[in-house]
Amino acid sequence: MMFARFNDRSRTCVEAAFDEARMLGHDSLGDEDLLLGILRADEGIAAEALSSLGVTLEGAREESEEMLSGALSSIGISLEEVRREAGDAFEMRIPDNRRIPFSAWAKKALVEARKEMRRMGDNYLGTEHILLGILGNADGTAVRLLAGMGVSPEALEERLFELRGRAAG
Amino acid sequence: MDNKTSTRVGGPEDPRGGLEAVVALRRTLEALEAAQVENAFVAGWSWAKIAEVLGVSKQAVHKKHARRIKGRYPGEPPKRKGK
Repeated sequence: MMFARFNDRSRTCVEAAFDEARMLGHDSLGDEDLLLGILRADEGIAAEALSSLGVTLEGAREESEEMLSGALSSIGISLEEVRREAGDAFEMRIPDNRRIPFSAWAKKALVEARKEMRRMGDNYLGTEHILLGILGNADGTAVRLLAGMGVSPEALEERLFELRGRAAG
Repeated sequence: MDNKTSTRVGGPEDPRGGLEAVVALRRTLEALEAAQVENAFVAGWSWAKIAEVLGVSKQAVHKKHARRIKGRYPGEPPKRKGK
């Protein structure tokens, strides 16, 4: 039961993550897509923590695209040139009829999210737990993406607990 | 991030960068194939001819691309040129 105890916002987050992954041409749903999903689901303390550190949906999408073009240029391929040669028909989007699986890191993040939920004594699984699950993956793509935006997991965790403490009164 | 400055990103001494390049290339290849098949279709090429050049079966090309591309050009028969 992967999605047991998920609250509405974290369900929205996972759905939005699939949308984002598809749009960016990711052939699996990565932990960075979960991060984008959190930003799309918005309004939770996880999204608030991210935006307070300057991580916006637009910015994170761009960073993800830059990571792809950076990886290509490391082997001598210019995404811009590929795009130009292929014309308007070229888009990274994954077609609707193709299913995409969770990546190993995304699965791990969701498993960790559940552990965080228990550790924190919560009876629902929210986007804050998903964010902590993502941040636990030091090797993951999401942590690298955040590093590219100048945000460390430590700073993000600290802000998250600050906001949570404030919300609890 | 930090290994971007090294001289051999994606080389044998940078497995992480090398593997990430493979992923990026695979995703780009998929997008490029979709675009070029669409370009050929719009130019009036038959699925058989597209498949021939790609070196795969007509069924494979049709299964992978037909629904997406036909959905994009509803009721609009491709120009019969450049055959």
